Amino acid sequence: MTTLAAPKPVVHRAVRDVLPVVLAYAPFGLALGATLGATHLPAWVAWASSPLMFGGAAQLLAVQMLNAGAAGVLVVLGALVVNARMLLYSAALAPHTAAWPRRWRWLAAYFLADPVYALAITRFTGADADGPRERLRYYVAVGLVMWPAWMGLTGAGVLLGGVLPTSLRLDLAAPLTFLLLLLPMLTSRPAYAAAVAGGTVAVAASGLPLGLGLLAGAAAGIAVGGWLGGRDG
Amino acid sequence: MAELLTLAVIGLGTYAMRAAFLVMAHRAPPARVARLLPYVGPAVLAAIVVPAFAAPHGTITLAETAPALLAAAAAWLAWRHLKRNLPIALFVGLAVWWIASWAVSAAGGLGLGPS
Repeated sequence: MTTLAAPKPVVHRAVRDVLPVVLAYAPFGLALGATLGATHLPAWVAWASSPLMFGGAAQLLAVQMLNAGAAGVLVVLGALVVNARMLLYSAALAPHTAAWPRRWRWLAAYFLADPVYALAITRFTGADADGPRERLRYYVAVGLVMWPAWMGLTGAGVLLGGVLPTSLRLDLAAPLTFLLLLLPMLTSRPAYAAAVAGGTVAVAASGLPLGLGLLAGAAAGIAVGGWLGGRDG
Repeated sequence: MAELLTLAVIGLGTYAMRAAFLVMAHRAPPARVARLLPYVGPAVLAAIVVPAFAAPHGTITLAETAPALLAAAAAWLAWRHLKRNLPIALFVGLAVWWIASWAVSAAGGLGLGPS
C-alpha cells in the first residue's frame, strides 16, 4: 500500500470540505424526509427517491406531485425539467474529468448532485489545481460522504417526521444552503453578472409551468456570464 | 407500485443527464461552449435561490419576502466575516429568518388590533 501516502491529503481535504456541507444540509434533509413521510405513499417508497434520484429539489417535487395524484408522465416530466441542470453540471465538469477511467466516470455521474458539483468545481478551478488522480480522489471522497449522509438525513426525517415540532420552521434551510454553495463561485465580475441575471430572470419567469423558470434563468445567466466574460477576457 | 416505478424512471433519466457529458464526451468541448461553462454554477444556483427568497411560497408578499431576504443577507454577511463557515452562516440565516418572521407577524397583529 505504497500509494497511501499521496492520497491522504486530498482525501482529508475533501472530508474537511464536505462535512460542513453535510451539517448545513441537515435541516433540509430532515425537513424533506418529514415531508416525504407525511404523504400517502408508503414511507419506504417515498424515501426510495433518495437513492434513486439523489437530489432534494426533484424528490420533493416528484413525491408531492404523486401525493396530489398527478399523472405519472407529468411527474416524470416535471422532475426531469427540474433536474435538467444536471446536464449543465455534467458539461461543466467534463473537461476536468476527461482523464479519469471510464468506470469511475460512471460512478461519478451517480454522485453528481448540487453540493458535490459545487465543491468539486470550486476545488478543480481553484488556485491549487490538482492532477487527474487527485481530482478523482477528491470527488469520490466527497460523494462517499455526501451520499450516505443524504440517505441517513432523509431517512431520519421520514422516521422522526411526527416527532419534529411543527413550530420549527425549516423551509428556508434549503435556499440558504444553496446560497452558501453559490457564494464561493462568485469570483469574478462575469460570475456575479451570471448570478444576477439568472436570479432575476428566474423570478420573472417563475410563473412558467413545470419549473421551467429555473431553466430560463439558468440560460439567461449563462448567456450574460459568457458575453461579459468574452468581452472582459 | 406505480409510484415506485415513476420514481425509478425519474432516477434513470436524471442519471442519463448526469452521465451525458461526464461519460460520453471524449473530446474537449468547442471553444464557444467552453467559454460558457464557468457560468453554469452561478447561473443555475442563483436561478434556484433567488426565487426561493423573493417568493418563498410562490408569490412576493412583504410578510414573507422581507424576512427571507433579510435572512439571505445575514447568511451572506456571516459567511463573509466568519471565515466562510457554512453551518454557522446557515444557522445565522435561519435565526434571522425566525426572528424577522415573528416580528412581521407581531407587527401585523398589532396593526389589525383586537377584533
